[in-house]
Amino acid sequence: MGGELVDPASPPSYTEIFEGQFPFYLSIGMTYDQYWNDDCLLVKYYRKAHELANERRNQELWLQGMYIYDALCCVAPILHSMAKSGTKPTPYPEKPYPITREAIEQEKEEKARANRLKAKAVFEAWASKLDLPEGVTDDE
Amino acid sequence: MAKQIRFTYDGVDYTLEFTRKSVERMENTGFIISEVFEKPMTLLPTLFAGAFLAHHRFVKRDVIDEIYAQLPDKQDLIAKLAEMYNEPISALLDEPEVEEGNVEWEASW
Repeated sequence: MGGELVDPASPPSYTEIFEGQFPFYLSIGMTYDQYWNDDCLLVKYYRKAHELANERRNQELWLQGMYIYDALCCVAPILHSMAKSGTKPTPYPEKPYPITREAIEQEKEEKARANRLKAKAVFEAWASKLDLPEGVTDDE
Repeated sequence: MAKQIRFTYDGVDYTLEFTRKSVERMENTGFIISEVFEKPMTLLPTLFAGAFLAHHRFVKRDVIDEIYAQLPDKQDLIAKLAEMYNEPISALLDEPEVEEGNVEWEASW
């Protein structure tokens, strides 16, 4: 009753829109005063901050999934029903994944250094087995 | 920073701005922005007075009307006030940043 008096096509008032959006902004950390009385552009920055927080959380959850996946892969050999007795789980990564640019670079360098050392050791082992003729020096 | 109009009148510095609360107060008194262009003589001073609510709520209407009467370049002032009045809502309804996937459109006039 009385509904016929309301024009269904009339757009909502600004106040109605403000009130409709208010709970969302409260949920992302704005205060009553900030929303209603402060700089009206603050909402844009809260929205952007909310977006960044969501992205960060998504990254964290993804990373957590990676760690869980890694852990499962490590214990997988002993979970196998046909596993031989004495099978041990592979060790869990000793340190967290590098996520900063600096840490990634550092890890690359460490890997390259370890590879160089390994190659050197292989070469030295191979060289020590060589039956070089007497009197041959490095200078020749 | 929200759009503001600043001026000094009678030795007092004034900053005019609209917040969501001041827009709400104006609407509660029956003000509808779309009617400004239909009844400019009545509603323009009301719009101007509404811009005082955010920072100078207790300035008397007589003083506001006096200031309004003495401000030059009213046409431009009104355009700016309307823009300011719309800002609290446009900040809520802002378009997403331009990126691939957004449909581009333009008007022909």
